[in-house]
Amino acid sequence: MRLHPKNRACVISHTWGRYSQSGVMDDLYEELLATAEQEAPERYDQQTSILQPGFPLPLPPKLQLPHSRRGRKESGFHKTERICLRQIHKALFQHQWHKASALMTNYFQNIEDKSYRRQRSSYERFWRLGTEILRHHPRSKIDDFNSFLDRMKNIGVKNYLKICLEHSFHLLSNGMLEDANRQLSLAESWRCRDTCATQQQMIQGYRGLLDYYTWVQKSDALPETEKYDYTAATAKQDMQSYFRQASVNLSAIIKQPGVWDPFVLSYVNLLEFYDDHDAALHMLNDYAYDNKFPPNPNAHVYLYQFLKRHQAPWRKLVKVLRILQLLVPSHELMLEFCSLLAVPDKRKYHHEALKVLFSLLDYSSWKDNPDAWNSLEKTIQLVFKVGASAWIKDEWASRKGWWPAFHFSAYQAKKTLAENAPVAYSKAFVAGLLLGKECKYFKTIYKGGRKKRPEMLKEMKKYIANHSLAE
Amino acid sequence: MFLRKTFKHTQSHSRYKVLLVFYLFTPPPQRDYREPCAQCSEVTWGITDEGKFYCRSCHNVIEKTKEVTTADSFTANARIFSISKGLRKKTKLEQGREWYLCEGFQFILKLQADAIQALGVCPQFKDEILCSFWRRYLQKSRQAYTKKPLEDMMRIRKASESSQSSDSQSLGGWSSSSESELDEGQSDKNSGPASTSRSRSPLSDDFTSVCSGSVDGRLHRPQRQRARMLLSMPMTLAFCSMSLLWLRESITLSELLRFAAEGHIPYINVYQSFPEELKLYGKDTHIFRVDSFPSCESIQQHIYKIAAFLDLPRFPEITENCVLHPNILCIKYLMEANLPDEIHSYIWRVVKRTGMGEEASLTFDPLAKPAIPINYDIKAASIIIVTLKLIFKLDDEFEWSLSNDAESVNRNKEGVEIFNFRKWYKTMKLALDKANEGVEEDVARYMWQCKKPIFYSSKTRSVVVKKKRMVVNLQQQFKKLTGSVPRTPQQPPSSFQFTWDEESQDKPCFHGHSLRAFLKKSAVYELLNTGYWHTALKQCRKEYCKGHLHLEEPHLPRSYIFILNLFSFMLKVDSALLHAEVHETERLLLKAKAPTTPSGKRRRRVLHLIPCL
Repeated sequence: MRLHPKNRACVISHTWGRYSQSGVMDDLYEELLATAEQEAPERYDQQTSILQPGFPLPLPPKLQLPHSRRGRKESGFHKTERICLRQIHKALFQHQWHKASALMTNYFQNIEDKSYRRQRSSYERFWRLGTEILRHHPRSKIDDFNSFLDRMKNIGVKNYLKICLEHSFHLLSNGMLEDANRQLSLAESWRCRDTCATQQQMIQGYRGLLDYYTWVQKSDALPETEKYDYTAATAKQDMQSYFRQASVNLSAIIKQPGVWDPFVLSYVNLLEFYDDHDAALHMLNDYAYDNKFPPNPNAHVYLYQFLKRHQAPWRKLVKVLRILQLLVPSHELMLEFCSLLAVPDKRKYHHEALKVLFSLLDYSSWKDNPDAWNSLEKTIQLVFKVGASAWIKDEWASRKGWWPAFHFSAYQAKKTLAENAPVAYSKAFVAGLLLGKECKYFKTIYKGGRKKRPEMLKEMKKYIANHSLAE
Repeated sequence: MFLRKTFKHTQSHSRYKVLLVFYLFTPPPQRDYREPCAQCSEVTWGITDEGKFYCRSCHNVIEKTKEVTTADSFTANARIFSISKGLRKKTKLEQGREWYLCEGFQFILKLQADAIQALGVCPQFKDEILCSFWRRYLQKSRQAYTKKPLEDMMRIRKASESSQSSDSQSLGGWSSSSESELDEGQSDKNSGPASTSRSRSPLSDDFTSVCSGSVDGRLHRPQRQRARMLLSMPMTLAFCSMSLLWLRESITLSELLRFAAEGHIPYINVYQSFPEELKLYGKDTHIFRVDSFPSCESIQQHIYKIAAFLDLPRFPEITENCVLHPNILCIKYLMEANLPDEIHSYIWRVVKRTGMGEEASLTFDPLAKPAIPINYDIKAASIIIVTLKLIFKLDDEFEWSLSNDAESVNRNKEGVEIFNFRKWYKTMKLALDKANEGVEEDVARYMWQCKKPIFYSSKTRSVVVKKKRMVVNLQQQFKKLTGSVPRTPQQPPSSFQFTWDEESQDKPCFHGHSLRAFLKKSAVYELLNTGYWHTALKQCRKEYCKGHLHLEEPHLPRSYIFILNLFSFMLKVDSALLHAEVHETERLLLKAKAPTTPSGKRRRRVLHLIPCL
């Protein structure tokens, strides 16, 4: 049983989010503030003394200044550290795992740095970077991972709990449930000042996740045909007990404000299996709409997917997606949103769809998407049919300055026509309408595609001549 | 008490200095004993201060002792090499022998001298020049070869202070503890001074044990640095550089530092090659550990201080035949910067006109006041830059427009190729970027921590050892992952960082190109360029001025900035420093023409300068 990589990524992001709950992120932030203040005392003072007290000033951008101008001279050792870190980042971004691990070998010498402040912040760095490399390195094995994390637990005691939890999750996603459980027990046995309450909660949450996966294993193993057998009955009972354990722990942790995506998904899965739809819906609603929770687009996505699975009314679906659109205008569900909005004879919804599509195409990831351009073409035609060309003009007004260069350059026309002709035609239609048929994009497409699709282009030209919005 | 104390120490100084456990400067090999060593089968025997034979190559001490003969060569300077037999006791904390800081530095200096010797400097370097500087230093600073060793003086002063002050406890135990450590056995009977030290001994003994591994490490305090010229790691390089300067060797200061940074000359973590008996501990760790390479200027400062401290005479004169003379040094940099050889005749003129080639201004004289730092390589680079400004103007217009002409001439004509500034710029830019990248990579992979753990006190020992083990384990683990990534092998030491080749495509050589595009058709030396720009010539006070470059950079032409960066990369100095030196050279060059009250204008035009050259 392996987690889907995408799922895993979202778990990682979720764990990051969760730390902010446990206050560790705040610690880091404080530390950052402290360093910034320490490094820039004189400048900061100057600014505050000139201005009235009580005006909150943003942090001076000292952190971005080159090192040589920061006043105190940097030692060669720290320069090596800084450059090494930069190179590791670069190697990670470029997925050069071999180079990254070679640099990491060197970077470990900073463990011996004498200053306590630097040590504190760097332990987390060693852990994060090392984990990242080991997770992706083609030659690393799970044993390497285990021994590395065990060492990290020993040097950075402050991060012990976090490391244990993440270790356990990694083991879980590799299907090593027992080892994962052992890690959780280790985390449980560890005591530190004031973290006990939250610590327990977290560990229980992870326990719930483990129980869920055991439950999944059992349900997969349950043979279809022998459902009424005696052994099957006991297996079912077994599953039931795991379900109970898991749901208690999961529901407890989901009640805490935070980002709990994998926990939520597992819980919904469990509830759906036992047909407890109301509870699932209630939980998802809370997760998405409770103001105590940090804004999380995934919460809305899960809610939408759940509603769609259970044939919820159109109005509810649109409502969920409308909120998602506000949060993430470039979300992939937006096309679905538009197709939902394409109801005949509802002017209001056509207007909304037009807005959604325009803002979707503001993002470069949608630049050459055939579906997006196609639905924009359709929607524009629909809008003309309704006779509300002013809407298009409104949308265009704010984009007039940069869309021509962003979408409708002659170079792009040639390129798109060669690589992705349908997009090129749709774009040419939009460009022709918005910029007039003399615009570069339309002319290029018209010239280039005249031989292949003469009738369609002629028709398009005619349509544009009749409806052009260009001044 | 004061009197008694002085008396006691005059007694004890005769066995004071125990130096040269590790022969610094190639002592004569022992001829008496010719058996090969059991460990390394070499036949190079030396004699320890206890009279035992030891192998010079592997430091293996054998049981055989030297028969003491009166006609021994050492007895002539018996005082200098006074061998204290059996007086060096093993101290607490399994610390090995008692040793002095200067012994440690001597060991480092020896390693550095050997490395420099291996680079091919003249054989006098180590045994004559560096050795005599070093001896003179030891004597002047009263660390050896003296009747009044420094430590005794310190102790006397300290003791007199303590006798005057009623609160002797608060003075701290170091002076008395050192005394109790040194004079144990002898001073026991001297009840007078011993009793004072005894009264604090339980405390002070502990204090000593935490203080340092070396005997005099705890006396080494930064605030005494100025008065007493205490040794520090950068000073070893200063000694080397000073000896090279005395010999007028071709290794310049910036080159020396580059070799140190590249690891050809031991500097970082040298202490890990100390013999077993020299245990680094406590304060010693701060003295011998380095966490950055010194800058050119700081070494220069050290050289000045040392030379003044040693009362050195005027150094040998830098004549026109010396490598350090700008005329010759410039050839090297012209070659490295891939510029045409023809430029040298203009450099020669600039040197002559500015008077920078005169012996008086080039020779280092520690007694001259005020002492002016002479940075030969920076001077040479600044001369080249000024000459380039004369020829190419470097105002982001002239050089490019003439490059166009050169390009068209090159296209049409066969024969000697004409120097094309644009082509040169593209080549150099590429090479510089690549070299910068390589340097950055090297910096990122530099190992600053030494292989064996060193710790400040026994309290932190366990933590340090644990961390070290952790680091080693982690490094092994990641090394396994790295596997067979080809690491660039270490380059052999070279004076040149850039190499150019006539044949190769990506590293074309411009040395033979002619400057015809930049000259007037009729005259031989007359340049087409008749303008010259420079920044404000006003001199500013050194202590307030932190380099103009950062302020002026946005207003300066880009091609000038590029050339500045190129040379600052080659010399490994800050470009602001180089800019200041260019400014200085310009001042010399334009002295006659410079207005008495410089106006605030940044870029002035000085016309008709070139024909007068």
